[in-house]
Amino acid sequence: MADKRRVVITGAGVVSPFGAGVDTLVNALLENRSGISTHTLLKEFPLMNSHVAGIVPEIDFSFIPRHYRRSMTKMSLFAMLCVTEALKTAGHAKAPAGTAVYIGSTVSSMQAWLDFSEKFLNKRLDLVKSTAVFQVMNHSPLANLQQALDIRGPGLGASNACATGLMNIGLAYQAIRQGTLESALAGGTDEYHPMMTGCFAIMNAASSQYNDAPARASRPFDKDRGGIVCSEGCGIVYLETLDSAKKRSANILAEITGFAANTETKSISHPSSDSIIECMSMALDSAGVTPREIDLVNAHATSTVDGDIEEAISIEKVFGKDPPVNSLKGHLGHTMAASGSMELIAVIHMMLGGKAAGTLNLDAVDPACAGIRHFTGTVECAVNTFVKNSFALGGTNTSMVLRRYGA
Amino acid sequence: MMQREEIQKIINEAIAKEFELDISLLVPEANFETLGLDSLDAVDMVVVLEMAFRVDIRNNFTMADFTNLESLHNFIERLVRQKENAGE
Repeated sequence: MADKRRVVITGAGVVSPFGAGVDTLVNALLENRSGISTHTLLKEFPLMNSHVAGIVPEIDFSFIPRHYRRSMTKMSLFAMLCVTEALKTAGHAKAPAGTAVYIGSTVSSMQAWLDFSEKFLNKRLDLVKSTAVFQVMNHSPLANLQQALDIRGPGLGASNACATGLMNIGLAYQAIRQGTLESALAGGTDEYHPMMTGCFAIMNAASSQYNDAPARASRPFDKDRGGIVCSEGCGIVYLETLDSAKKRSANILAEITGFAANTETKSISHPSSDSIIECMSMALDSAGVTPREIDLVNAHATSTVDGDIEEAISIEKVFGKDPPVNSLKGHLGHTMAASGSMELIAVIHMMLGGKAAGTLNLDAVDPACAGIRHFTGTVECAVNTFVKNSFALGGTNTSMVLRRYGA
Repeated sequence: MMQREEIQKIINEAIAKEFELDISLLVPEANFETLGLDSLDAVDMVVVLEMAFRVDIRNNFTMADFTNLESLHNFIERLVRQKENAGE
C-alpha cells in the first residue's frame, strides 16, 4: 500500500490521575506509582462498598476564555488540554483544515445532570443557567473543544462506554486509511462521579477489599482482586497519513497497522473469551501480522474477577505464553472512556523509550489468569509491535495493532 | 429600605463574579457589547440577579431596561422599590 494511506500517530495529549501531560503519565507509570486515593464522599453511602477512585489533581483552567469555559464540565476541560498537547506535539499550532474530531465519553457529565435535575424536580427552571444543555448533551466535549479551538472539520465521536477511546482512534484510523479523511484527533474523555462507582458497586464489581490501602486497590490478574476502581481523565491522539507526516517531517510516534471491533451478545455485562478471541484475531488479520510478531499485549484487564479471567484465557489462546502482558489499570484504575486511548499513548511511549511498566499490585497471579506471561515492575524491553485491547459494558470489544515506525 | 448605592453594589458584584469581569469595567455607560457579553450571558444575568434580589426580572423587563449598566441599575431599583412597597 502506498505511504499515502498508511496511518501514523504524530501527536498525543493526556490528562490522568497523575496530572496533565503525557510525560507526567509515563514517568509515574515507570516509577510504579498509583494514582488511586480515598474518596471520602463514597463513605457516606451505606451500600457503597468501594471508597477509592483515581481523581485528576486540581488544574487551573482559567487560561480557557470564560466564553468557552462556561459550557464545559471537567471532561471538556480535560479534552481541551489534551487536544492542545496533541496538536503541539504533532507540530501544529492549530488543527489543519479538514481535521476531524472523534472524541466521546461514557455518559455526559453526571454532576451537570444532577445540578439540572435538582432544580427541575423542585420546579425551579428559573434557576437553570443557559449553558446547562451544552454541558449535558452527549457530545459536549466534542462540541466544546471544536468551538474553543476553531476546529471546523466533522465532529464524529462515538460512545461505547469504556471502549470509547480506542473505538474512536480505530474509527479515525479506518477513515484515514480508506481516504475519507486526511487527519483526525481521536480518543476518549471522562470525569469521575461517585455515581459511577455506585453503578459498579451494585453489580458487585467495584473494588472493596483495599479501602484502607487505596494504592493497592486496583490489581489486575491478582488472586486478591475484587473489582474496578473508577477513575477519570482523557487521552487524545493526532492521526494523519504517513505521506502527510513525511512531507512535513513530523515526529512519528507509532504506526497503526490494524484494528477490529465486535460485540459480545451473550451478556450485556460479562465478556466471553470467544468474543475477545475473535476481536483480537480480526485485528491481527487486518494488520497482516501473525501472533508471533507481537512483542507486547497491553490488556484491558480492569481488576474484575470475571473480566480478567476471560481476557487472560483469550490472550493465551491467540498469542500463547510468549508475549509479555501488562495492564496499566493497576496504576490508573479504570479511566473509563479515556482508558483505551490513554493507555495506548502510554504504551507507545514505553515502546519508544525501551522500558515498560508491568502490572502494578500483581503480587500473586490468579491461577485462572496464569496462562500468559505477566510481568511487574519496570523492565527493559524491545517492543516493535504491540496489541492494545479495550472492552466495555454493553459488549463492545476493540483491539488495535501498532508498530514502531520504520521497524 | 435598601439604598440605591447598595443595590448598585450588589448588581455590580454579581455581574463581576458571574462573568469574571474586573469591577472597574462596570461603569454606568458600560453595555453588553463593551463588556463582551452575549445573548447566553443575558439569560444568566437574569438568573443571577433574580437570585440576588428575589424579584421577577424575566417577566418585567424590556430591552430598553438593558441599554447600559445605568439603565439596569434603574430597572432593578424599580423592582426592589415595588417589592418594598408591597411589604414583601
